[in-house]
Amino acid sequence: MRGLADSLRGDLLFGALAFALLAAVDLGLGSPGLLDFTIRFATFALLALSLNLLIGVTGLVSFGHAAYFAMGAYAFGLLMQTGAWSIPAALVAALAASALFALVVGALCVRLTEIYFAFLTLAFQMLLHSVILAWIPLTGGDQGLMGGIPKPAFLGIDLARQDHLALFSAFCLIASAVILRQVVRSPFGAALRMLRDNPDRAAFLGLSVFRYRLGAFVIAGTFAGLAGVLMSLYVSGAFPSFAFWTTSGEAIFMIMLGGISVFLGPIVGAALFILLNDRITALTDHHGLYMGAILLVLVLGLRKGLLDFLVEAWRERKERRS
Amino acid sequence: MELNELLDCVSTLSCVVTQVSAGLTIGMLLFLVASGLTLIFGVLGLVNFAHGSFYMVGAYLALAGYGATGSFIVAVAFGALGVAVLGLLCERLLLSRIYGADVLMQLLVCYAIVLILDDVVKIVWGADFLSMGVPDSLRQPPFIVAGGIIPYFYAILFLVTAAIALLLAWGMGRTRFGRTVRAAAVNPAMVAALGVNTTALYAVVFAIGAMLAGAAGALSAPIRSVVPGAGVSILIESFIVTVIGGMGSIGGALAASLIIGLTRSFGSIGFPLFVEGMMFVIMALVLLLKPSGLAGRRGA
Amino acid sequence: MAQQRNTGLGRRALLGAAGAAALASPNIAFGQSRQPIKVGVPTILSGRVAQLGISSRNAMQMEVERFNAAGGLDGRMIELIVRDSRGTPAEAARLAREMISSDGCEFILDCEPSSGGFAVHEVVRETGTVTLHVNSETSSLSADPRQRFWNAFRVARQGIHDSIAGGAYAASVVRARNLRRWMTVSPDYAYGRDTTAEFLEYLRHFVPEVQVVGETWPRLFQPDYTENITRLSQGRPQAIYSCLWAGDLVTFMEQASIFGLLANTQFFGVNLADYTTLQQIRNLPRGAHSGNRYLRNFPDVPGNREFAAEYNRRFNTFPTNWSWQSATAVRLLTTALREVGGTSPRAVAEKLRGMTIESPFGADGRVTMRAEDQTLVGYAIGWGTTISADPFVENMQTADWNTIFRLEAEWKRAKGWL
Repeated sequence: MRGLADSLRGDLLFGALAFALLAAVDLGLGSPGLLDFTIRFATFALLALSLNLLIGVTGLVSFGHAAYFAMGAYAFGLLMQTGAWSIPAALVAALAASALFALVVGALCVRLTEIYFAFLTLAFQMLLHSVILAWIPLTGGDQGLMGGIPKPAFLGIDLARQDHLALFSAFCLIASAVILRQVVRSPFGAALRMLRDNPDRAAFLGLSVFRYRLGAFVIAGTFAGLAGVLMSLYVSGAFPSFAFWTTSGEAIFMIMLGGISVFLGPIVGAALFILLNDRITALTDHHGLYMGAILLVLVLGLRKGLLDFLVEAWRERKERRS
Repeated sequence: MELNELLDCVSTLSCVVTQVSAGLTIGMLLFLVASGLTLIFGVLGLVNFAHGSFYMVGAYLALAGYGATGSFIVAVAFGALGVAVLGLLCERLLLSRIYGADVLMQLLVCYAIVLILDDVVKIVWGADFLSMGVPDSLRQPPFIVAGGIIPYFYAILFLVTAAIALLLAWGMGRTRFGRTVRAAAVNPAMVAALGVNTTALYAVVFAIGAMLAGAAGALSAPIRSVVPGAGVSILIESFIVTVIGGMGSIGGALAASLIIGLTRSFGSIGFPLFVEGMMFVIMALVLLLKPSGLAGRRGA
Repeated sequence: MAQQRNTGLGRRALLGAAGAAALASPNIAFGQSRQPIKVGVPTILSGRVAQLGISSRNAMQMEVERFNAAGGLDGRMIELIVRDSRGTPAEAARLAREMISSDGCEFILDCEPSSGGFAVHEVVRETGTVTLHVNSETSSLSADPRQRFWNAFRVARQGIHDSIAGGAYAASVVRARNLRRWMTVSPDYAYGRDTTAEFLEYLRHFVPEVQVVGETWPRLFQPDYTENITRLSQGRPQAIYSCLWAGDLVTFMEQASIFGLLANTQFFGVNLADYTTLQQIRNLPRGAHSGNRYLRNFPDVPGNREFAAEYNRRFNTFPTNWSWQSATAVRLLTTALREVGGTSPRAVAEKLRGMTIESPFGADGRVTMRAEDQTLVGYAIGWGTTISADPFVENMQTADWNTIFRLEAEWKRAKGWL
């Protein structure tokens, strides 16, 4: 356990440094564009990071991860619109809602493997999408939650201000990253990796495949819910497209861009994805053509995410030297 | 819920005739797309997320063929064969590089193909939705059977799709090629050891799968609008069919397509607001109760 | 480029009060009167409705070029920044923010359909950017006081106006032909549901004895309508109402005609009369009833025909409903800019409120940005019957705006919005 405590201290230090750096850059330059970028980056990085707990660590390829993202966004938005909730309380409740939803869906899905798991998670996501579209009195249907989300200040933090929201988002991302890294490093995380690499051995050791996978599913769903909360704060609403398969697809895209075997891979992937997306949208109408071509080059050329590629190349060089 | 209306309908012959014939026709068109998907999965182990785009390109090519020649037969042939060539190119240049890779890589390469094809179609044919219209020679008054309506063109569609389905069943079951394909699906290493060129086999199977999607797109071009992005909803529906029927099973895909077609036509009377949701409910139920699908052979 | 500029700008912009400060600062910062007036246009340029977004952009370009050629605003030209949201509301919101904060857009001409429009609405509620919603027809956007704020305007036809006009027209047909049994087929999303409910409400207002014997709700962009058509034919209606649109409507009409559905049934399609739709329907049935989306001969005035001719010459296709709305938005904005003599958001918004301009798309040669709810009124609405060849629609009957105003006020009162 000493190693774990050490790693926690290291992670906390790293996290604090990263936050200080982000805050200094954001506040120092103070450009609205950069603040926007920070918020979106934190949102998508968190979504990708949480999904990678399933894909990279546990070996469960979920196609329906956006369901918990949408759940967090809608739960938070709906609670805030009642006017009776403070932001921290609504945030905790929204995370609980995402976790509960992930628990129910996960209990049904994690027994399956591979492609069947992927399709069943997708089916539940599309079911949620249909419910959001159909339950118009609650969700506003295809128009989403209208009328804005009130953002009363708490503890001196006023999320209606872009700079506060940017720092808050960055804090959420970094805190979540520290927690998730501890999860991955913990005995629980080691068990997940063993389930991924050698399920027979894990079963032989008496690990409950079902419980460990379900645990990972719920944790991943909860952090996706937090990403959804940040998204709803950013756009001041919630929309059915949050629960559409394209959102899940983009999260997978980000993970693949950055790499699945390196912890920070999805975060790098999210940044790359946003930069690519924004540049391409600004430069051309043919978004799909360029995005598709870049994707092909990356997937067929590198055959792995950018960080995966770099880390492996570095390792090989080191080996060749020694 | 309007279950009374549903009861009224199933107790009148004319309503049953109309709904069943419509449901079967929708189902058979869906089957063409889904059978290609399931064939490719069964043999290549590849989940072809770009299958909906092949359907869309088939419709556009048929439109072009019809515009050039004025013949519907030429249009359908052009659509189907054009997409077969497109499929062959995709398989040789792109997908063959990721065989054996995890489903994630497959998803991303196919996602890229979808994005690119949608834009290419928009560049070549423009962003306007286009329509072909039912060719004059096929524009005949509908058949009236026991008071139910069966449109002439739907009857043709049903016959053509059924003929393709029979051809497919015969090809897979009775020919040497079909036996090789089925053997390769079970044990590719053994087939390769017996001297079969599996690279060529895979390419041909993928092209046939793509051709089926292209044929469905071409056949439905006269009655559906042709528009960029048309592949997505078809893709989702054919995935549902594939999962319900069992990944890799063509017979299962046929049964599931007809179930979906009939659910749609009777659902629009009995539960008009939950037809879409019902598809996902059926799929989720099948996955939970029998994950390998109605006719699946692979364990889950 | 944009990034560099905005670091210079950002230092002085107070972040919280982002809106007004970020808007005004390009002028203060550089003090150049020749700097272009940047106008951000989030719209859909890909996927199934790309054609509409493109028709919006085309019309805007035409009008902006005219404004610039005439010298702009004291030498300041308008520069349009058009970007593709791909139809996702979150991306539309993102684009609007980016245009305002990074690109320095002083105005937003929001060319999203309703869902994206509401997302952009929330962004500019916060930033205080003067925004004209060009294509959102959902009534609540401007009618519901909770949605209203000083800097957002709607320059589009509105669901409730169309429904009252449609109800009044349909009522006259119903009386003449004694059509009692109605069914509806409309897309299952907010616009489809609201518009259909409102149409039926006004149809019953004028002819209470009308019965709705069945409804069917295909989802938006459903590829096939067979199940909906067989449902309709089971109900044996005398009349069918639909607010399906564009490619979906084309597919529906094509499939309905091979089922012989429209042979003995009067069809009322509020969105039929748009050229891209009319031209794509092979064998357009004679005598289907349609509202005008855009027709070059309705209103039948020279300005309208010239608009269509120039558009056709430049883009080799005909304008759509989104085109006339976009052209009108640019004309309103440029008129306000000239009259204000500057780009101060408060002054421009104040000028827009209640402004009337000459317009070939107006019922009486003018359209007005109504002050009380900041939405466009007085545009030409009419219904007619289809014929299979150009000009496609005949016997256009112009809707009476006095009736529309009266019933709209009653509707708002019933909703508690007035």
